[in-house]
Amino acid sequence: MAQSAAWRVMADRRRPDRLFAASTSPPYWQRSMASQIAAACDLEFTTATADFGGSLRSGFSALRAGIEAIDVGAASDVIVVASDRRDPEPESADELAFGDAAAAIRLGSQRTIADVVAHASRSDDFLDEWRRDSDTHVHGYSSKYTLSRGYEANVVALGKALLAQAGVKASDIAVAALNTPDPRTAMTCAKHLGIAPEHVCDGFSAVVGITGAAMPMLALAQALAAAKPDDLILAIGYGDGADGFILRSVTPAAPLEITEPGALLYPSYSVYRKSRNFLRDDSRGPEISNVLWKREERQNVRLHGTKCMECGTMQFPLTRVCCRCRATEGLLEAPLPRTGSVFTFTKDYLYDAPMQPTVMVVVDLDGGGRFLCQMTDCDEREVRIGMPVELVLRRMRESAQNHSYYWKCRPVKQAPAKENA
Amino acid sequence: MKDLKDKVAIIGVGCTKFGDLFEQSYEDMVVDAAYAAFADAGIQPEQIDAAWLGSYSPYGGHGKASVSLADSLRLYGKPITRVENFCATGTDAFRNAAMAVASGMYDVALVLGAEKLKNRPMRGLSQEGEHPYQTDGLTAPGIFAMAANRYLHQFNVGREALAKVAVKNHANGSKNPKAHFQMEITEDQALKAPIVAWPFGLYDCCPTTDGAAAAVICRADMARQFRPDYVLVKGLGLSVTSGRPWYDPNFEYIGFSATEIASQTAYKMAHITDPVKEIDLAEVHDCFTWTEISNYEDLGFCKKGEGANFVREGRSALGGDMPVNTSGGLKSFGHPIGASGVRMIFEVVSQLRGQAGARQIRNAKLGLVHNLGGPGSVACVLVLGMS
Repeated sequence: MAQSAAWRVMADRRRPDRLFAASTSPPYWQRSMASQIAAACDLEFTTATADFGGSLRSGFSALRAGIEAIDVGAASDVIVVASDRRDPEPESADELAFGDAAAAIRLGSQRTIADVVAHASRSDDFLDEWRRDSDTHVHGYSSKYTLSRGYEANVVALGKALLAQAGVKASDIAVAALNTPDPRTAMTCAKHLGIAPEHVCDGFSAVVGITGAAMPMLALAQALAAAKPDDLILAIGYGDGADGFILRSVTPAAPLEITEPGALLYPSYSVYRKSRNFLRDDSRGPEISNVLWKREERQNVRLHGTKCMECGTMQFPLTRVCCRCRATEGLLEAPLPRTGSVFTFTKDYLYDAPMQPTVMVVVDLDGGGRFLCQMTDCDEREVRIGMPVELVLRRMRESAQNHSYYWKCRPVKQAPAKENA
Repeated sequence: MKDLKDKVAIIGVGCTKFGDLFEQSYEDMVVDAAYAAFADAGIQPEQIDAAWLGSYSPYGGHGKASVSLADSLRLYGKPITRVENFCATGTDAFRNAAMAVASGMYDVALVLGAEKLKNRPMRGLSQEGEHPYQTDGLTAPGIFAMAANRYLHQFNVGREALAKVAVKNHANGSKNPKAHFQMEITEDQALKAPIVAWPFGLYDCCPTTDGAAAAVICRADMARQFRPDYVLVKGLGLSVTSGRPWYDPNFEYIGFSATEIASQTAYKMAHITDPVKEIDLAEVHDCFTWTEISNYEDLGFCKKGEGANFVREGRSALGGDMPVNTSGGLKSFGHPIGASGVRMIFEVVSQLRGQAGARQIRNAKLGLVHNLGGPGSVACVLVLGMS
């Protein structure tokens, strides 16, 4: 991806004197990605190559280094390419949100696409997304605090610094290029800067996805194509701080084709999963206590409850004192009925489960007793009070290198229910 | 049972701004609330004979024991007790302090409720001490949603009644500079919001919030030496029922007997026979909109099944005959668990002293505080009034 992006900005086949490559997911920890790309682009052995990484903004950090190299006269032609192919956590929301992309921008001393008016940086060690060298996928926190104190605080502060440096107002900005953790946040952030959301280029977040280190570059390329001559462009790349620029458009860049022509689509999720070599992470979750498991086997596995011989109440879990008449004598262990009807329920979207909503049910058991459990094998739209159900043993959520089994209920198709049908 | 009526006085209250207090630590909030209450009572910290801390969540080691109050205030050597009783933590801390002062053991006591919920990087409340799988799938909104769903089914009530509670409490909160949310919402907004746990949408749920509140109490016979407009404890009651009502074959899922029993105890002590006529305002536990509707009934403001009409007719609005949650309630003021009960006391005391600004109920003489914890399992009710 990175090589083909670099190759595209070398359409004239003129060789640059520097090539910088940025990524948070380089294929090697030790072996230069920039040198690999330079070789595949057939650049001279004298080309100065350098790798940038570690942050979502590393592409913009490279861009800033390139601009400064040209400013001091050390270079006259620099290619900066940023690319990421980040593996999301399997079966997480990131799997839908993430995209793979690469984007390249060429810097020179001649006036072509846009002039650099201002550039600035911020450094802020903030814990919102990370990947340790041993991790296969990105970890992150998602909350209002994370977005406001991390992303928004840095983007707004750098945006204001750039506007001040360039001596322009937010209303003078025609196009803003922002990377973003999700399609919405860049828009609210632009509003705080005083820039209308319709002027924001976010690197095609809704189409290509959240593309890591490639995203600020993709957004900038999108903005360079959208701007009219003399338009001011504000571009900010966030990640552990921010790097940003104000540019003045000279000649708009050609519109971007955002997919590789002829690229094949994955035919199914299982093929995608195999190709990315996703393995289920089962090291997390509470440990299963074998003490608790054995002690409560009669109750939780054999599904025994207590029947009070004083008042006749069938109850769960096993008890030493009757829940109704408080008798402590004459309490018999007895099998709990395994059929019943829905007394009440909720469809819960807050509970973290692979399929939402989680239907939680209080079951009135046939012959007495109440049971609380999840409903399975059901169409959530069909759940009703009074609906007949049966208890079935199911594997619950995976726990630290272990399975745990417990009871759920599922609808039974039968003659009209007795109560509240 | 001994009577506590008119034996304990509230001589000072304090409350932090509630909200996402990312820049404030647990200690910062405790210090702000306590020193506001000390200043309000006109006392120095050393004058406190004993203190009760209400804190639910032991995040980061704080709140776990009484030391988190001692270390925050650098108030060492005093008898301090940490109380935890689900979401009724704050009022139960107050109740224990009031009993100790009434017994004559201490002259002046501090009650402080504090909760730091927003140190966590993720949303919602943390789960702790749960059975590994028996209640797998259950969340706080889910627990109350199951009751709300049964209630709406049994009394043929629509979600629109729930939305009316949210609209009312947001309107009150918009008049309160200390509230977490200070914006009005419309019924339409509430009804169209994303579903959290059916039948609850986003606006049916209170937020997770940081905050702290404090009260200084003393023996009633010495209150006048601190201030003329002290507030007296007229009655109090605590009731605990099952923490797993879903297993109780007799539980109807349409209300909470803990609230009924706690309020009857408090009314009897305060000599109240007709709460709507005698009480001027109530701060009740609206963790979810439906909970407030059930509270109207369980507190005896109306009959079971009539709570929806109580809010539809505007009886619980600022101008109604029984204003409920003038502060904005948990819905709008926010819900830092252990702080909420003490925050309710702060609101009622402010109202009784005529210091509630745009939310002021005219001529308020008697106010009610109601805290509800767990799945409706722990209820604490206080009746507070002017001498």
